[in-house]
Amino acid sequence: MSVVSLQGVTKRYGDTRAVDDVSFDLHENRIHGLLGRNGAGKSTVMRMLTGQEVPTSGRIRVFGENPYENADVLHRVCFIKESQRYPDIFIARHALEAAALVFPNWDQDFADRLVDEFRLPLKQRVRKLSRGQLSAVGVIIGLAARAPVTLFDEPYLGLDAVARQAFYDHLIADYTEHPRTIVLSTHLIDEVADIIEHVTVIDRGRIVMDDSSENLRSQAVTVSGPTKAVEQFSDGHDVLHREDLGGFTRVLVAGVPSERETASLQVEPVSLQQLVVRTTQFHDAALAGAGTGNGLGNGTGTGTGKGDRS
Amino acid sequence: MTQLVKVARIQLVNARMVLGLPLLVLACVLAANIVIFMAIQAPESPGESPVTGALVSIYIVTLVTHVQTMTQMFPFALGLSITRRDFVASAGLVVVGQALLYGVVIWVMSLLEGATGGWGLDLAMFDLPFLEQSNVVTQILVYTGPFLLLSFAGLWTGIVYQRWGQPGVWVLALSIGAALVGLLALIGWQDWWQQVFDFFAETPTLLLFAAYPALIAAVLAVATYATSRRAVP
Repeated sequence: MSVVSLQGVTKRYGDTRAVDDVSFDLHENRIHGLLGRNGAGKSTVMRMLTGQEVPTSGRIRVFGENPYENADVLHRVCFIKESQRYPDIFIARHALEAAALVFPNWDQDFADRLVDEFRLPLKQRVRKLSRGQLSAVGVIIGLAARAPVTLFDEPYLGLDAVARQAFYDHLIADYTEHPRTIVLSTHLIDEVADIIEHVTVIDRGRIVMDDSSENLRSQAVTVSGPTKAVEQFSDGHDVLHREDLGGFTRVLVAGVPSERETASLQVEPVSLQQLVVRTTQFHDAALAGAGTGNGLGNGTGTGTGKGDRS
Repeated sequence: MTQLVKVARIQLVNARMVLGLPLLVLACVLAANIVIFMAIQAPESPGESPVTGALVSIYIVTLVTHVQTMTQMFPFALGLSITRRDFVASAGLVVVGQALLYGVVIWVMSLLEGATGGWGLDLAMFDLPFLEQSNVVTQILVYTGPFLLLSFAGLWTGIVYQRWGQPGVWVLALSIGAALVGLLALIGWQDWWQQVFDFFAETPTLLLFAAYPALIAAVLAVATYATSRRAVP
């Protein structure tokens, strides 16, 4: 079931289209990855679906209603963003107390445990917190709020690797016990690749990928071998990336049917990060080239070859 | 209503700072005034009782505090999925409560001032002659009115900054300046000065310091809400 739905959503700032005719759904009790480069429009999308900004055109529904100024909808939504500002007069504890007041599912014990784990100095003035500690405040609020829709926008700037892993571990453990819809927006794709179940990639304000992680991984492969055999293999399919070395070629190719000849070739699965990066580049090149290229297109090729990885 | 109370409690999560700071400033200003007037008052010549306008300090501090309510607390509250409507309404609630509280505090201080013989110096800082009322309720309202006016002015200035940034505040300030200059010019040109003085002299204190400020505050509250509709955190 879809809990959030965007239909043809556009946001213009002056002449620039930060978000351009975007449509996608967030499904109930699933972990989504909203991926894309800096300035791709990820944050703008999240600000719009939490009612902080209003789309120029298009339709946004959260729990079937327009989220803008809708308290009924918004108290079921928690949006943690890297750029969140806290009042200067606050100490860290005040921020958590405020969150505890607003979110109906707030779990104080859980919050307390997280404070210990992230070593958050509760009595420190918010202004004096380090970048990582500030991120910890957001992460703790986002987890302990247990909001049915929880969005994390680059939540862990400045957090060290141990703290980030703690965040992922808690996220998964708590999600298993209290399923909800989660959106993770991040640059660290490799780190979240195993967590996210659905991937939405946005580039230049447009959706270039929107599918389950499983489908996406099976859709694309890296193929290497003699140039000729590789070309034969990838003929008629989107080559997202190509490297040539002597007579050898290595390509990242999307949507390959399973019955293709692979005897002389080495076929490997593609990491999510590679797929996202190459698709984004492919999409950019297509845009730069012949007008409106369609990259890996919205919801392309379910039904393309699965499992041809050996 | 419960939602409004919750949001108001968020604004008062650090109540010591929000409600206490203006009072602390007031206490410091009082102390400073006592010291100053002790120093300048020659003990052997008990002249007329001095009056200080230092009370205005707490009103100014309150205005500044509420500019920050909008530039700092508002973005935080929206980040916690609170609607603009709920935030502005609860900010109004906080302002009205705070204004009444401070009204009472100043009234109590005026009693203290009377009891201590003007802090031992015959000094008038709270019990100002032009604010005097014959009953407690109207006396408190007279102290409260200007708080309402300045607090809502602060809220509106803050949300103008939040929505249009620095340029917005400049335009607001210049417009108000231009309007004032225009008004003064009009009064001078039409030779209305006498009427203006009469207005201030003849209007009852309760109207001038409680009713009219409350009325303007209400207009500013509406302006604050309207401006907040498209303000982003």
